[in-house]
Order: sequence, then C-alpha cells, then structure tokens
Amino acid sequence: MVNARPNLQTKLGALELAYPTLMGSGCYGSGEEFAAFADLSKLGAIVLKSVTRRARLGNPMPRIVHTPAGMLNAIGLQNPGIDWYLARELHKYAGRPCKLIGSVAGFSVDDYAYVCERLSARDEIAAVELNVSCPNVASEGETFGCHAHLTEQVVRAARSTTDKTLIVKLSPNVTDIVEVALAAQAAGADALAVINTVRGMAIDVETWRPRLGNLAGGLSGAAIRPIAVLAVYEVAQAVTIPIVGQGGIETFTDALEFFLAGASAISIGTANFTDPRIPERIVAELQEYLARRGLAGLEAIVGKANVGFSTPHQYEGDEG
Amino acid sequence: MHATTVIQRRVLAPGVIALSLDAAALAQATRPGQYAMVIPPSAQTAATALAIYEAEGKLASILFFTIGRRTHELAELRAGDRLDVIGPLGNGFDVSGSERDVAIVAGGVGIASVFLCAQALLRAGARVRLFYGARTAELLVDAQRFAEAGCKLVEATDDGTRGHRGFVTAALEREPKPEIIYACGPTPMLRAVARVAAELGVRAQLSLEETFGCGIGGCWGCVVPLVGSSAQAPSFPPAADGGSDVVYARICREGPVFWADELRW
Repeated sequence: MVNARPNLQTKLGALELAYPTLMGSGCYGSGEEFAAFADLSKLGAIVLKSVTRRARLGNPMPRIVHTPAGMLNAIGLQNPGIDWYLARELHKYAGRPCKLIGSVAGFSVDDYAYVCERLSARDEIAAVELNVSCPNVASEGETFGCHAHLTEQVVRAARSTTDKTLIVKLSPNVTDIVEVALAAQAAGADALAVINTVRGMAIDVETWRPRLGNLAGGLSGAAIRPIAVLAVYEVAQAVTIPIVGQGGIETFTDALEFFLAGASAISIGTANFTDPRIPERIVAELQEYLARRGLAGLEAIVGKANVGFSTPHQYEGDEG
Repeated sequence: MHATTVIQRRVLAPGVIALSLDAAALAQATRPGQYAMVIPPSAQTAATALAIYEAEGKLASILFFTIGRRTHELAELRAGDRLDVIGPLGNGFDVSGSERDVAIVAGGVGIASVFLCAQALLRAGARVRLFYGARTAELLVDAQRFAEAGCKLVEATDDGTRGHRGFVTAALEREPKPEIIYACGPTPMLRAVARVAAELGVRAQLSLEETFGCGIGGCWGCVVPLVGSSAQAPSFPPAADGGSDVVYARICREGPVFWADELRW
C-alpha cells in the first residue's frame, strides 16, 4: 500500500505550512537571492534576516570561517533597522511563493516588543521568530536566551503585541535548555526553534589571532547535529507546543531524525551554502519515504523515536 | 544552476589545476571578472567560489590552487565527471571605459579572474600590460597564454626565479603609468595596488577575495567597508553604530570588483 502523495503539511500555532521546511534566519536572505537557483514554492517558509530597532553595521571581517563539518559565523546582525526595513525593504518581499517569517532581535525587553509589534503588523509577515541570543544591554549584557527569566520577559512582552504565531529560537549555550523552553512556553510562545548555533572560536596558528573578526561566533552545520537532535528530544518531552528542529540538517535522513525526536517542522540553514537544491530534495525524499512506508503524513513520525524508556531522563552517564 | 561535465583536467603547476567544463550556457552568460559557486560532488562541504577563467563557445573553465578540503575534492575530478555549478555570479570588471593603456595586476591564482578581462580589453583595442606575480617561476601559470593573446608581460617572483625579484606591485611602480588598473590577487597585493594607484593618480578596479558563506548575497558573511556614495553601495542607511557614511557591501553580490578609491578597508 503506497500513498501517491503523502501530506507534508504542518502547523506552528496558527501558521499553516504546505511543507515543513523553514529556511534559517540569516542563511537565506529574503529569498530573492536564492530564487534563481531554488524553487521557493517548494519551501515551507523563509525566516527573514533579523531586524533590530536601530540600524547595525555588523561585525568586522572575517565573519565566516569554515570548520570541520560546519562553519563559524559572526555577522553581527547587520541590518537597516526597523524603520528603513518597513519603509523600503519589506514590500519588495511580497508575492513570494512561500510564507515569510519575520525575525526580531533586540538589546532590551522593550526592543523586542517594539520591533515585534511593528513587524507583525505587516501583511507580508506570516509569523514572527524571536532571536533571543542577544545581550541585554539595558542590564549587564547577559544573553536573553541563556536565562529562563529573561527569555520569559522577552516572550511575554512580544506576545502582548501580536496575535500572529510567535516562535522563540532557543540557544543551546545553556545549562538546561528545557528550563528555558518551559519559560518561553509559559510566556505565550506558539512554537520553539531548537537550536540556534553553538558558540565557538577558531585561531589562526600562523598569526595567533582569532579567525573571526568578532573573536567568537556561532557554529553550525553537521558538526552540531547530534547536539540539536538531543535538544529537540528533551524539549519535546517537556513542552506541548510544536518544535522547529534545526542544526546541521543536510539530507532527508537528517530531517527524519529531527521529526522522530519530536520536531513538527525543520529549518535548513548552512546546507543551503552547499547546494540550494537541498531543501527541495529533502521534501521530495521525505514524501518518498512516507509513501514507501504507507504513512499518510508527518504526524506518523513526529516524536515517534522509540527510546525504550517509558519516561524521559532515565538514561544516565551519557558522557561516559 | 548548470549541470556540467569535466572535459579536460590540466595540472598547470604543482597544486594548480584547471578544469574545463562543458557548460555552454555558463560560458555564454559570463562577463569578465565573474565567478561561479562550485557545488561539491560529495555534498560534504560548502560550495566553493571560483573565478570563471575562460569562457568560449561551449567551454567554461575554472582554475584553482589546491589548498583546503574543498579544492582537494575538486582536484580529484577527472574528464567525464559531473560537476554542478551556480553562476555566473557577481559584478565583474567594468571594461567599457575608453582607456587605451591598461595595466592588469595578477597575483598567484588571481590570474584566473583576469583572462577574460584581458581578452575583452585587447579586443576593444587597448594596449594591455600584465603585471604577473607569484612565489616562484613555475607558479606563473599560463603566462604564455596571455602573451599569445597580445598582452605585454611584466613578471615578478618572490624568489627571483623569473622576472623581477620581489612584489609585482614594485614592478608596477617602476613602469610607465597606465590609464587604468585592473587587479586580482591576495589582499595584501590588492592593498598595495590601491596605494600605488592613488600615488599615480590612476583609478583601479580590484577583484577582492574573501571567505564566502552562501556566495549569492543571502548571508552577509563577506563584506567590505565601502563609501556610502559608491554606485555599488547596498541600499542600506549608514548604520547608527558606524558613525560615518561607510557601509558594508557584500563582496559576492555588490562585488567582487570594487573601485579602489571607494573602499575604506
């Protein structure tokens, strides 16, 4: 028994997606850059590059370093600021054949609420993702997403400004990602993106200097995939809202791991730098896989990892 | 996106490989100084940005020094192998000017970016001097091709095994002043070209080299500070935290070729 066309539709809060594939923020521009090389109508959504209240020049070069099985980036949120973005950029993105998710970054709780309110008011924007991996400049520079109480404040403030689907992108650079996930859920998040990049550094052994202009950056690519799969699994055990799994997804079997771990959708970032046809290929191969197994849709695989335990956290000594 | 086939693999010097591709659409669309993103057959690394060296008829070629994982993989390709490439990309050299006396400066495999440029300028009737520098004589690859095409060659090597001993930019300073300079090579060489051009009062177009992320404008990973008044400046306001009229332009998208006097690097 083979279904002709298994259904890959998925939902994140009120956001309905024809395909479960998001293009990671900052990895796909506005879509226009990739449109000549990829079929945007075969994407679920593009998460746009993060916008802040004021324009940002971004970090000094180098901003990218290729590393084993991945890359480090430290772009520094280069963007024109919300005023310019809304007045002179966003209208150009109308008519994309896939959904657009706005991404909000900020340096105070008020920043997030302000930018979220203005961005989500626009028709081009189907949903909003909060990039909470920024320092709280209003306080002591703690990263919002690294603290449950700060994450809760940001999400609550943003939530009060919009009825559109609100996705919170969690940082893996924490002691307990589940604690932060629960805080985001309690504050009204509709979905969680798990995970953002892993902090890292590379040093040029000729010059003895950091290879990134910003010294530290975010590691992405296949190198972080197992970190991400476990984070998705653990968060999925604890929350009731849907999860966008992300971190080094390059093939449909990678994607499958994330769905089995509990993700309702996936996000593809760095793999687009290998081959922009990868998202479309993953969708086609997922459909073939589901058809081969006689499965009607994603609900048949989401969270179905057979871990052999009746309750989570029974495994121990996982670093041994 | 072009599905191409490797027609010929040439080893031009130890570690320097040229691959000729059956890629008519790419060849016909390519302008001087443009590049391609070469998709790794293994899909295990990011794509590699490489200049389109030659473009004629149904053939386009790429030329590279095998230096890292990505170029080593490409070096393994043989005639008959498939290779997918995206391109042509970027804004290449502006060869529409009326200058009759042109200097092209190339360092190492930067030579790959300037062959089409030299061809176009020669066809337009310009006198073209190629200032070509490399570490050692055998790395002055394909110099003879440029001579046969009609360029006057001025060579320089770090070890003095051919041409001037020392930097190619020192040779540029000593020779009669050109009306315009086109250059591609390592960043220190390009900075020296920019300095010499400023001293001579000549404009220079520089093809910059940088580590790319996506290579097509989506990630803002390869930027260079540019004066906001440049025709190539992206339509962004000067950043509040920049405190000047300098903006970051994407080398992949707004470049890779920029006017030296518009860079603030």
